[in-house]
Amino acid sequence: MKPKRLLALFWTLFLAHGSLAQEHDHHAHHNMSVSDSGMVMYENKTTLPRGCDQISEDIELTIHAGAKYAENTPGMTFGMSQHEVRAPGCSRLTITFINEDQVRHQWMVHGLPKYLYSAGMFHLEAMAGRQVTGTFIVPPDDRTYLVHCDMAQHMEKGMKGQLVIGRGSGNLWSVRGVSDAFNRAPYLPDTTWPLAALALLLVAGVVTRLRR
Amino acid sequence: MTASRLLLLSGLLILFALPPQWYPQAARVQLSQWFGAAAFRPLPASVDYASAEAEVFCPPDLSGWRNERVIEGLTLPAVAGCVPDNPWSVATAIRGSNNVSADTLSKSGFTSDAVTKGRDLDGDGDPDEIHIRLEVVELNGASAEQPAPVTEYSLAPGIKPGLWVFAPKLAGMATENFESNLARPNLRLPSPTLRVEQGDRVYITLENTHYMPHTLHLHGADHGFVDSTGEGNDGVPITSEMPVMPGGARRYELTPRSSGTMFYHCHVQPHVHVMMGLQGLFIIEENRPDNWLQTINIGAGSVRHPSVAVRENYQQEYDLHYLDLDRELSAEIQRNNDPRLITRAMHREYDITDASSDYFVLNGRSFPYTFRESLIVTEPGQRTKLRVVNGGAKGIALHTHGHKFTVTHKDGSRVPEAARFPQDVVWLGTSQRADLELSSVNDGVSSYGAGIWPYHDHQYQGVTTDGIGPGGNISAIVYRDYLDDAGWPKTLGTSYTPYFTEEFYRKEIPVWEAYAPGQFSDPGSDWRLVLRIALLALGLGLAVAAVLPRRR
Repeated sequence: MKPKRLLALFWTLFLAHGSLAQEHDHHAHHNMSVSDSGMVMYENKTTLPRGCDQISEDIELTIHAGAKYAENTPGMTFGMSQHEVRAPGCSRLTITFINEDQVRHQWMVHGLPKYLYSAGMFHLEAMAGRQVTGTFIVPPDDRTYLVHCDMAQHMEKGMKGQLVIGRGSGNLWSVRGVSDAFNRAPYLPDTTWPLAALALLLVAGVVTRLRR
Repeated sequence: MTASRLLLLSGLLILFALPPQWYPQAARVQLSQWFGAAAFRPLPASVDYASAEAEVFCPPDLSGWRNERVIEGLTLPAVAGCVPDNPWSVATAIRGSNNVSADTLSKSGFTSDAVTKGRDLDGDGDPDEIHIRLEVVELNGASAEQPAPVTEYSLAPGIKPGLWVFAPKLAGMATENFESNLARPNLRLPSPTLRVEQGDRVYITLENTHYMPHTLHLHGADHGFVDSTGEGNDGVPITSEMPVMPGGARRYELTPRSSGTMFYHCHVQPHVHVMMGLQGLFIIEENRPDNWLQTINIGAGSVRHPSVAVRENYQQEYDLHYLDLDRELSAEIQRNNDPRLITRAMHREYDITDASSDYFVLNGRSFPYTFRESLIVTEPGQRTKLRVVNGGAKGIALHTHGHKFTVTHKDGSRVPEAARFPQDVVWLGTSQRADLELSSVNDGVSSYGAGIWPYHDHQYQGVTTDGIGPGGNISAIVYRDYLDDAGWPKTLGTSYTPYFTEEFYRKEIPVWEAYAPGQFSDPGSDWRLVLRIALLALGLGLAVAAVLPRRR
């Protein structure tokens, strides 16, 4: 896919879906449970999304988070044990999120239908060294959802992932191990430009000489 | 055409096109004597500036945060100013996040361990075991995808420099909601004012949620070099301890024996980290019975619940945190996303010895936003306590219009009565603090009567935002009669419309356009002169063509 189309996809997932689905907001469920371990918001164990006759599969996953999971990735500060989750449509996901750092971390899915998940989110937050478990049911459509930690700069510095339902709808940018950084710094050695200039002059000189 | 004919044609064209105002003075005088003055031609008309859309000066208080509130058995007085702090956050900061109802805690935004209060050790009716948890938050930082900064926070219309702050521990997202890129209201500059009582057993845990190493240094506050376990406790990497790495945490502890207005800041590469905003007021109140303190004052400013000792002498109290920021330093976190590149840019390529300050803030905002949050609202006969810190790289010459104040404390220490005098400018060097007594008794010295009296840094860069004034740290002492119901001052001067536009601070609007449209505006262009220059260029081009040898 061309970068422009991927960017469009990014914006679509980020902005359009949320506002389009807003009309269904009055059906919203607002589930939140808070404990010393953290918080689970918008949990849904039973209500089927539209277009689902039954739960297609029960999937249980454990995801670890912390600075430790960025140790072998240059230029990243935080990370998760897996940055991509794949599941079939209408499946029920139970995520156990284990935070191995001494600070908070989150595992949030965005862009879910608002008639079922108010704010379009499923949200886990684990306090330092704690774990939380939450369950949600995904819609039937092939789509790629954004997963991230919404603490300031945690997504940018490594905690961005994607939830691919069915065949998905393309990869998001900057998902570790999946897709490249959208704004990638050039990382050029200092001598690149002088050497490039030298090469240009050399070629010009040689070609001029050959043409005489 | 032959070269000589071409040359002749170009010469005529040049002679015709050359603007008369470019002729030598002597030639112009001679021509005037022969032909008289040229006919009247009006100067170009002023450019018509379409008035830019202004923000609402004082956003409506939809949640009723300004009203008197009874929360957790505490009566929080009504707030006269426009934008108050969240009253549930205030109540939780007083009672402790471990002592309030789930509903209050949820409305406060704090986590249950954000500010916990334990036993009453001296049996005087208030808790003496205090544990505060602080995170490190980047505002207006780089995004990996979007061009705009993320977790947005504006000092003034359109002014969004990259910032780092210590933040109280808040549950959930950093932004208002998922569709918004704006930082939630409790995430802001400056780092919060912390208030503890003399003799309290205080723990502050720094939870480093940021991508760089940080520490906490309790400037001026009575703390041991090592803590009770023998670990370093001074926050200084080169003498006391290893910095707290990303994802890590460290607990600092102190039992302060002396009271006063102190300071806290990060001590890792302080010339960069402190200047990015990792600094706050640290206040140790005198010990009194039943002294439930507002341990966290988010964004500094009005103290909605002053201590018992302060209430003995004053009707109200304000925390005033001054800071200046360098635009070039702030931009370093917006250029790159890779922490290695940011570290190199900030700590090796950026050179503070060549730096200059561009933004001047009071309690994290510049004028006109200071008028929303940092007005000192008073009425005749009141006494107000102001606790001031200058956290900026430059000194401030704090000046009050219409009042002379008294400096009661300097750097947390009491100024003897004999050394006090009424003054209207106080100089505060970097990291200095002063406690000011501001009286509104109209006696010809303390106060000259009711009104809207600005207070500001009298160094002139301080009243600008990147050189555009009015901006910077200007705020005002406003008497109640001069404040409308929404909390906005009933000013008698110019319209505030231009100041609430991004265009004004982008230097795109003539400064007096609002009240003298056209008179001091930008002039339009002289198109006749433009035409002459075009013909001149044509003539010169032909001349060059005439003298160059012809191709065979």
